[in-house]
Amino acid sequence: MTFTRRTPVRLLIAGLAAATVLAACGSSSKSSNSGSGSTTSFSGTVPQGGAITIGAEQEPDCFDWLGTCAGSSWGYWMAEVNTIPLAIQASGVGPDLKNTPGPVLAGEPTVTTDPVETITYKINPDAVWSDKVPITCADFQYTADQQQNSKDIYDRTGYTGIASVTCPDPKTVVVKYKQGETFATWQLLFSGTVGIMPSHILKGKDRDTLMKDGYTWSGGPWLAKWNKGDSIVLTPNANYWGNKPHLDQVTFKFLADTSAEFQAFKSGQVSMIYPQPQLDVVDAISAGLPDANSVYNAKTASAEALWINNQKPPFNDKVFRQAVAYAIDRDAIVNRLFGKLGVTQAVNSLNPYVVKDYSDPNAWSNYKLDLNKVNSLMTGAGWTKGSDGIWAKGGQKATFTINSTTSNKRRELTETVMQQMLKTAGFDMKIANQKASQLFGETAPNGDYQMALYANNLTSIQPGECNLFCSQNIPTAANGNSGNNWYRVSIPELDPLLKSVDTNLDDSVRKSDAAKADDIMAENQVSLPLDPLPDIVIWSKKLVGPIGDNSIEGPFWNIDQWGVNS
Amino acid sequence: MLTYIVRRIVYSVPVLIVASFLVFWGVRTTYDPTAKYRNNRDAARVIAEKKHELGLDKSIVAQWWTWLTDALHGNFGTSYRTNDSVSSMLRHALWPSIQLMFFGTIFALIIAIGVGVYSAVKQYSAGDYFFTGTSYFFIAMPAFLFGLLAIALLVTLPVEKFHLSEPILYSVGLHSNGQSGFNLDYIRHLVLPVATLVVQSVAVWSRFQRASMLDVLNADYVRTARAKGVSERTVIFRHAFRNALIPLVTVVALDTAFLIGGLVITEQIFAISGMGRLFLDSLQGGDAPVLLGWFLVVAIFVVVFNLCADLAYSILDPRIRVS
Repeated sequence: MTFTRRTPVRLLIAGLAAATVLAACGSSSKSSNSGSGSTTSFSGTVPQGGAITIGAEQEPDCFDWLGTCAGSSWGYWMAEVNTIPLAIQASGVGPDLKNTPGPVLAGEPTVTTDPVETITYKINPDAVWSDKVPITCADFQYTADQQQNSKDIYDRTGYTGIASVTCPDPKTVVVKYKQGETFATWQLLFSGTVGIMPSHILKGKDRDTLMKDGYTWSGGPWLAKWNKGDSIVLTPNANYWGNKPHLDQVTFKFLADTSAEFQAFKSGQVSMIYPQPQLDVVDAISAGLPDANSVYNAKTASAEALWINNQKPPFNDKVFRQAVAYAIDRDAIVNRLFGKLGVTQAVNSLNPYVVKDYSDPNAWSNYKLDLNKVNSLMTGAGWTKGSDGIWAKGGQKATFTINSTTSNKRRELTETVMQQMLKTAGFDMKIANQKASQLFGETAPNGDYQMALYANNLTSIQPGECNLFCSQNIPTAANGNSGNNWYRVSIPELDPLLKSVDTNLDDSVRKSDAAKADDIMAENQVSLPLDPLPDIVIWSKKLVGPIGDNSIEGPFWNIDQWGVNS
Repeated sequence: MLTYIVRRIVYSVPVLIVASFLVFWGVRTTYDPTAKYRNNRDAARVIAEKKHELGLDKSIVAQWWTWLTDALHGNFGTSYRTNDSVSSMLRHALWPSIQLMFFGTIFALIIAIGVGVYSAVKQYSAGDYFFTGTSYFFIAMPAFLFGLLAIALLVTLPVEKFHLSEPILYSVGLHSNGQSGFNLDYIRHLVLPVATLVVQSVAVWSRFQRASMLDVLNADYVRTARAKGVSERTVIFRHAFRNALIPLVTVVALDTAFLIGGLVITEQIFAISGMGRLFLDSLQGGDAPVLLGWFLVVAIFVVVFNLCADLAYSILDPRIRVS
């Protein structure tokens, strides 16, 4: 599992978006069929042939999925998922995502722990690359070797502890961990953003040079061609061993501006868009989009929260953190942001919904607006209200600053609403938003903040909270200021529970420990979960097939099953 | 003439060197190219490796000097973001932008000169008032707003109102899928981005042309020509128009940088992969090598345009000699 902090790209234009959707909202809907849920049902025959164009908000930096230049969500959704075999896939749509063996495997991998953790994969006998060379154990060996030993690798997590990858036969892979090393989230191996690479094409050569600008081979249902700056074009892989795609061509056109993207959809220049859940997008959808289907998925891999620096006064006091939590009506904020989509309640765990089994989804449910509780907590801690209605203690007022990303109307509205709520409760919150690069590159890692508003996103159905909340991961000079516990959470009883979630091979223990950890974090109010950052998918009614949101692999994970009516 | 051109180019070299350092210093102190790895589980290792690989562990002066010496040998470096060669990225981005600027400048000059001359000749007429009002309206309107409104009114609205199977004008890219070259599809893609890019220039240039034309029309030699019975058409187009172009040439040359700035907005809205979009992507990624290459190309453009303006003076007015 990797957490990513989504950094909206539209620095310059996004701020202008509100003005834009005037036109988008101006015309009324003729036959908008907005799904209030997260999936649409489809039954019927999918037409064969045809081409579609989809609006893509981001262009990837490169196609070398193992390299440091990778890491783009859109690159993963558009090209990697459709061309690179993944051992384990997050399949399904809406809230029903689950880890399943990818088509490249003949079945579920087996895991044994005695004497060391050992994972055995059986490769599908029919699985071949697009040049008809069979996908074999050598490809797994090559991938693991690159992950362990190659330079410029984006994330080696799970691979450094591997002792050996052996091949009893070409279609069987045995991965053994070193003595004393365990990797509870073994489903991440050869999966997620680290797919299986073709040894016969890449071995002994410079992988990055061969892949970074695109490649002509594939181990999935599609071949991908990257026209830099313009589009990614998928065409069927004629030698794919599974079901062949129905469509002749899929073009992902890069449209970085959300407002222009909406207009392109409304004018039929693109057939599908997957916009970020900004206010103007929500308004445009609620105003109606002609001849469009849409789904909104609130049970996603994302969680937006008020992240708190637990070492920065006044938030270094647990009581103060709790009092602030009781001063905010989180449900009212979520209702204001996403009520038009039917999302009206705040989330109550810092873990996104997709890993609900590894959390207590109700851990923060006690933190509801309760001004009496605020008063009792604050007065109990020695604070008194001044003539201006703001709490004060020892000459210090209850004043703090929140940081978020600039040019994000949704977050700006959240802050404004919160500011009013907090003022009513006796807190003075100042707003100082920053560019995403500054917030995530400097301010938060260096701990130069008190409270921050942003979302964390999972890239697999696996928890990984130790990375975010174990005391050993607090950024310090010792670790080059690069630990990911930007919240400076340091709770002795929390660390072993979170470590257990990462390393214990007994899944029931992991789940139990994860839930206990959530409860401890809620009791200490280390940060305050807010909303699930719903995913929104909008597509033309000409598109047919099992279309829906997959918040891990993206909505295009099953695009081979889609068709288009002429 | 040649000596003059060489001297102008030599004068611009120190300016470019100082500008390149300021850009390098500004980008490196503002954007951290390793920031995107901070949320990686492997962050400590990746960041340390990348800092060493990219030379970020050296002083900014040392980093800039390395870039400068490589650039003088024709190597503009490798993108921090994509691992691509900067030269190749600039080459790819330059062509779409040149198309926009070329057609934009031609279109803007034709409209601006036409409107300016008409407004001057028909001063205080209804047409003059109309063009004056329209000019101020477009000067006040931000380019992004014009672009988005143009898309809504000229692309989306006709499709929705008249149930067209495809829009008359496009708002995505410079060609439809599978199309290339100069054809009707290209023109249908080009109209709106070009209009967005130059809408403010047209408005400003037309005001300059009007004022300049009025000055010339009130000059003694024009009065003399009229007194001698020369026809009004000959007075305007033979005697006044040519002289009235000189101030406009200066403004057009100076506005080159303004047009390049406009590319950032235009290319973002119309999904065109030119210099504007490359600038924005590189800035957000803290990609100093690409930004330095970008600034160098833009600086060369500005120098060349200004040089062309100087040369144009001597063509428009033989009394002006380049020396």
